[in-house]
Amino acid sequence: MSSIDRKLLHELREILGAGGIVSRATELKVYECDGWTVEKRAPEVLILPRSTAQLSAVLAALHRRGIAFVPRGAGTGLSGGCLSLNAPAMICTSKMNRIVEIDFDNRRVEAESGVVNLHVTNAVKSKGYFYAPDPSSQVACTIGGNIAENSGGPHTLKYGVTTNHVLALEVVLPDGEVVELGGPAEERCGYDLVGAVVGAEGTAGIVTRATLKLMREPENHRTILATFADADSATRAVSMIIASGIVPAALEMMDQLIIRAVEDAFHVGLPIDAGAVLLIELEGLEAGLSTYADEVAKTANLAGASSVRLARDEAERALLWKARKRAFGAVGRLAPNYATQDGVVPRTCLPRILRVIADVSRRYDLRIGNVFHAGDGNLHPIILYDEREPDQVRRAIDAGREILKACVEMGGSLTGEHGIGVEKIGEMPLMFSPDDLRVMTELRHVFDPMERSNPGKVIPQPGACVEVAAPRRQAPI
Amino acid sequence: MAATASSNLANRLEAIVGAQRVRAPTAAEARAADTIVEPVSVEQICEIVRMCEADRIALAPIGAARSLAGIRRSPVALGISMVRMARIVAYEPGDMTVVAEAGITVGELNTAMAGARQRLPVDPCGPGMTTLGSLIGAAHSGPLRLSEGTSRDLLIGVRFVGHGGSLVHGGGRVVKNVAGYDLMKLMGGAFGTLGIVTEATFKVRPIPSDYCLAVVPYARAADAFAAARILNDSIPLSNLDILSPGLATRFNSTGQFLLLAGFSGNPPEIGYQAGRIRDSAGARGEILGALDALRSYELLRDIDFHSAPLAAQIAVPPAFLARVLESCGSDIEFRAHAGAGVAQIIAADEPGAEAPAIAVARWREVARSTRGTLRLIAAAPAIRDSLEFFDTPNAGALALMRRLKAAFDPAGIFNPGCFVGGI
Repeated sequence: MSSIDRKLLHELREILGAGGIVSRATELKVYECDGWTVEKRAPEVLILPRSTAQLSAVLAALHRRGIAFVPRGAGTGLSGGCLSLNAPAMICTSKMNRIVEIDFDNRRVEAESGVVNLHVTNAVKSKGYFYAPDPSSQVACTIGGNIAENSGGPHTLKYGVTTNHVLALEVVLPDGEVVELGGPAEERCGYDLVGAVVGAEGTAGIVTRATLKLMREPENHRTILATFADADSATRAVSMIIASGIVPAALEMMDQLIIRAVEDAFHVGLPIDAGAVLLIELEGLEAGLSTYADEVAKTANLAGASSVRLARDEAERALLWKARKRAFGAVGRLAPNYATQDGVVPRTCLPRILRVIADVSRRYDLRIGNVFHAGDGNLHPIILYDEREPDQVRRAIDAGREILKACVEMGGSLTGEHGIGVEKIGEMPLMFSPDDLRVMTELRHVFDPMERSNPGKVIPQPGACVEVAAPRRQAPI
Repeated sequence: MAATASSNLANRLEAIVGAQRVRAPTAAEARAADTIVEPVSVEQICEIVRMCEADRIALAPIGAARSLAGIRRSPVALGISMVRMARIVAYEPGDMTVVAEAGITVGELNTAMAGARQRLPVDPCGPGMTTLGSLIGAAHSGPLRLSEGTSRDLLIGVRFVGHGGSLVHGGGRVVKNVAGYDLMKLMGGAFGTLGIVTEATFKVRPIPSDYCLAVVPYARAADAFAAARILNDSIPLSNLDILSPGLATRFNSTGQFLLLAGFSGNPPEIGYQAGRIRDSAGARGEILGALDALRSYELLRDIDFHSAPLAAQIAVPPAFLARVLESCGSDIEFRAHAGAGVAQIIAADEPGAEAPAIAVARWREVARSTRGTLRLIAAAPAIRDSLEFFDTPNAGALALMRRLKAAFDPAGIFNPGCFVGGI
């Protein structure tokens, strides 16, 4: 593989000007990993373009030398998607952070890819709009990173994920060519290449600009906490609520281990004897909300809820959400280390998969907590371990794999929102046949025939076996 | 010569699928394909694709053949009818997902799910004729796209037979899934040019307990669009459509533009929304409930643009739709999905030999002026040769599309020659 030499550094400085590149090893250390901290490798050079033209010139220069690169947004990803693997150059979009145009009439916003997710909503909320995808890292993560990972968030249940909200992209291909894909209208001309680039984890070039849809803020909401004696009845309630014809905006679950950890840490008034709780949020017209809330309460009771509590006011609502969002922080008090999975199962398989997780917990002698997006069937089992004990580390790895395998066997997925990256690349053959993976590689080559954009991610090389040496990353979800 | 080739083809197909499964096209299919085969399994389709690749025989998947019959200049040699592959593979109401073979129609699928009060909420004209394969391939949608999205938003898994006759799948059966590339998006709106979709998994949605439809007449299109805009900003409507006077006649309206605003919810919600609509419409119009609302909605949904002598779908940023339709000229009729910025338009008069190309060029120019798109839905055979059915994408995007086509269809057999840029 070609590498970075003085001549190239000089050429990059010419293109980018002062402050456009970082090549000192001490400064590059910051960029050695994202939220997946198991594997670390710093790039040889970090490139910070300020414009599409600069980025295009940079990629053309790398292309001439056959040098591979890794795109990076804010580095909040959880699957090692921007790990510097087989690529000496890293290109960070954080200086391309302008909101180009807000078009309230058409409910569109055009933003550069380095714009922080929450900044989009902040820019439009005064007029009653918001940008729907809301990953937990939204105060830091960028639109470009969201597009690469097809990010979700608690509102996914009602609003869908990033791909449902992106209309057009400006992409710089790995050879430096700038292409416009899609447009501001809801129908496209020709193949849906926007849909192919979203979720490609940076393997189709670098997105520099995106046209996003804005949504109207709902008139009001109701937040409900339903308490259950065991996880089984809580997950049954999830399916019953969904089947009753009500689609909440969010439907989250916490099991006993998590409830106790949260209560010990933050004293928010969760029922510590409960086997599980559901946090259910409804939104829509004020006129209809109370009726829906009553129906959800009835359904929860029917599923065996021991109590159903409606948040009285905004303060109580905020407290309940604080409990949910800080769950991962609370877990940090229970064990020196924890590892989180991102598997998905069909919603009706939730009781089964939770039994599998409980069984795995027993057999591997590891505590596992569950706090997750129940409405979507998107699990986040948290496996507690101590990295100072090599045997525990090995058991944590094996336990995680067994849970993912069970998810796939139930018709689910390896990952609901964190991406494959390098973390789960070895498990891709559990879900996809050699033919599936070959066709995905063919698609990749349409954009990147030499595999220079984020090499070694998403699609495993035929015959290669990636050995994960340590458990999954620990990070707030 | 042609007859011999055709009978040769038939013989070889019969060896794969059996004699009863190879037939001549019906009148409706004749413009889409010369010979029709009705495979009963994925394995048979794989074998047919391998055979066609070896001998460079053009083929295309067909449902009712409306889409392809409307836009192909000449038929492909072989139409793969999915009529025998129409099973529901898996449906679990609690999961709110359904897996079904590509030959089942939206209507059949929705009938099967009605008992659980769920539906696939994509509503093309004639759901009973629209197969899932067609829904995906031709990117059909209808009035409900405003509130429920399109098949692009709801398709979460797909199986298709690609080049080499290999069965490929993307996505899965769960509503949230980011493993691997999104092959579903590639199949959507590709008109069968990248492979034969055999099975699809969709998210489904609850059927609202009550649906009402406000029908409000306006003398001027601009007033109808202005009213639509205010409503769309104030309440979460199910659909929001405007019909030009010529198409509004089916609602017993004469000479008026009709605003049709559907809304649903529980009784207090319905009452509230009805009130807001009455505030906006004043004394004009009426609000239909129950069966009347459903019947009128179906009338709106089933306006048939496939059989028009010249019909197109235009898509622009929604606030520009009123102006765009006005600029298309006074000699059109339209159904506008006002909130989505999408409209179907037909030339009001029987087009002559010269006029259609000029009309289409004007529509296309108007769409382009707002960075929108236009594609033809149907054109009479006599005028077809003079028309471009799709916009030409910008050079960079088109080059990628050509590479995609070459990668997914190296033999060039999947519905060749009728997609963008001659793909």
